[in-house]
Amino acid sequence: MMHIVELEKIYKNYEKLQVLKNINMKIKRSTSTALVGPTGSGKTVLLRLINLLEKPSSGTVYFEGINANASSNASLKIRRQMGMVFQKPLAFKGNVYDNVAFGLKIRGDKKDIKARVKETLETIGLKGYENRNALKLSGGETQRLALARAMITNPKLLLLDEPTANLDPISTKKMEDLILEINSERETTLIMTTHDLSQGQKLANRMIILNDGHILQSGKPDEIFRKPKNKFVADFVGIENIMNGEAEEIGDGLVSIKTDSINIITVTEKRGSVNLSIRPDEITISKEKVKTSARNVIQGIVEEIVDTGSLIRLIINAGELFTVFITRESLTELEISIGTPVWMNFKVSAVHVF
Amino acid sequence: MANEIIGAVEQAIYLIVTLNPELIEITIRSLYISLSATLIASLISIPIGGVIYYYEFHGKRTLINLIQTLYSVPTVIVGLFLFLLISQRGPLANLNLLFTPEGMIIGQVLLILPILIGFTVTALIGVSNQIKELAIALGANAYQTIITIIKEARYAIMGAVILAFGRAISEVGVAILIGGNIRGFTRVFTTTISLETSKGNIELSIALGFILLAIALIINLMLNYLQGRE
Repeated sequence: MMHIVELEKIYKNYEKLQVLKNINMKIKRSTSTALVGPTGSGKTVLLRLINLLEKPSSGTVYFEGINANASSNASLKIRRQMGMVFQKPLAFKGNVYDNVAFGLKIRGDKKDIKARVKETLETIGLKGYENRNALKLSGGETQRLALARAMITNPKLLLLDEPTANLDPISTKKMEDLILEINSERETTLIMTTHDLSQGQKLANRMIILNDGHILQSGKPDEIFRKPKNKFVADFVGIENIMNGEAEEIGDGLVSIKTDSINIITVTEKRGSVNLSIRPDEITISKEKVKTSARNVIQGIVEEIVDTGSLIRLIINAGELFTVFITRESLTELEISIGTPVWMNFKVSAVHVF
Repeated sequence: MANEIIGAVEQAIYLIVTLNPELIEITIRSLYISLSATLIASLISIPIGGVIYYYEFHGKRTLINLIQTLYSVPTVIVGLFLFLLISQRGPLANLNLLFTPEGMIIGQVLLILPILIGFTVTALIGVSNQIKELAIALGANAYQTIITIIKEARYAIMGAVILAFGRAISEVGVAILIGGNIRGFTRVFTTTISLETSKGNIELSIALGFILLAIALIINLMLNYLQGRE
């Protein structure tokens, strides 16, 4: 099957600065891909190259097997089969209707514009917004407007550059739901960038980890989480406190995950054999068993104390090995040394099941 | 002397209130010539400004600097330049433009082209580059992108058009050298004021001055309004 997008030996330099180095990737139709990496890793530039807003310094971008940068006419034709949502919520002066209809009008696609705008606005939850001043929308609304504007032309490929980076948590949730819906219902191929790994995991069925202009690893999210190819990926995906076990409902909407040695309480839809991880910063430490709202209270013995420079990393053995960070002050205050028994407390929401 | 001025002002107000035919005729002609010049210059300048803005080319910065230098070219220099072209010994003599309203329009067009082009470019540059990219990413071609950016900058461009009109209607160099202040044919606000005053026809000059001031006021109000919209 022909890939919708294929990048071959892509290099991109700005003067002396190399921002992309030997990028090779193939994107299958109807898939959803997340380009994940820290700020400055080159993911936005990569997205812009795919959108043909920029040309590679060397290498070839193929769209449906055709060299996309062969001529400016060809580029325009190909770009018109894509949709792009930029990181910064942005609207043209004028009302919402004109903004959403933009792509149709410039394509000379004048059929049923009104009905299509109405339908698209309904899909993204801005029903009846046609005559609103686009510049007076909130950030979340503007970003959804941007999504509507990009998807109204029914693009084969939708590109999203950090689609929720500037949004509050509620708008982020709405945007993420919409992205999932577009990918599953319309079968639009999606490529998005994000610095947020969990978002990539939520929205994409394939992740490409970028750093310093290189692709470090690509594959299914859980594959990357379980088998990071190198230390950067492992550090970046923040793999700490990974365990697996059997998930079982215990009432009150709670689920207990039994590992070989302990039980961890969480909330998840998943049952049976699952992986879980707990972010070290979500775990608090106490010397005595304290009453907290945290459902998980687990005792262990400090096995290792590592000074990372800014924080102290503790390795605690509770049957499973836990990594926990504490401040230097807490270390002295709690009089922790190797062999000290401590209690770890963390909430159900701190447990990430995958 | 003071009495003379007060008397002249009274006379001027009388001319305005009674809609003196000569006054009305000069006003209409002035507006006709300068509005035509502004319209024509806008139709030329806005697309040129769009092209200069959109394309990256060698010497772009120098070209913009040159255009900006021409903002303050003395009106008599433009008048002289055009005079040499269209006078009886000039290369364009057979167009018979000298001492005609059409000749004056061309002169004023030349005079305000740099301001209009320059301000258009500035207005377009003022639109965020992200808007330009947005238009391109949504599939706009070069022409559609320029139109989109012009629409984004519409208030700033309208401001430039109004300023250009202000420069056209208040200039005297082109109007005298090319128009020649022919009564009933090429006589406009500024030529009347500058030439009739010396002939002692103060009342008409003052009346025209009032109208010119009123136009300046209207221009200012419109500019303020547009800046409020920005």
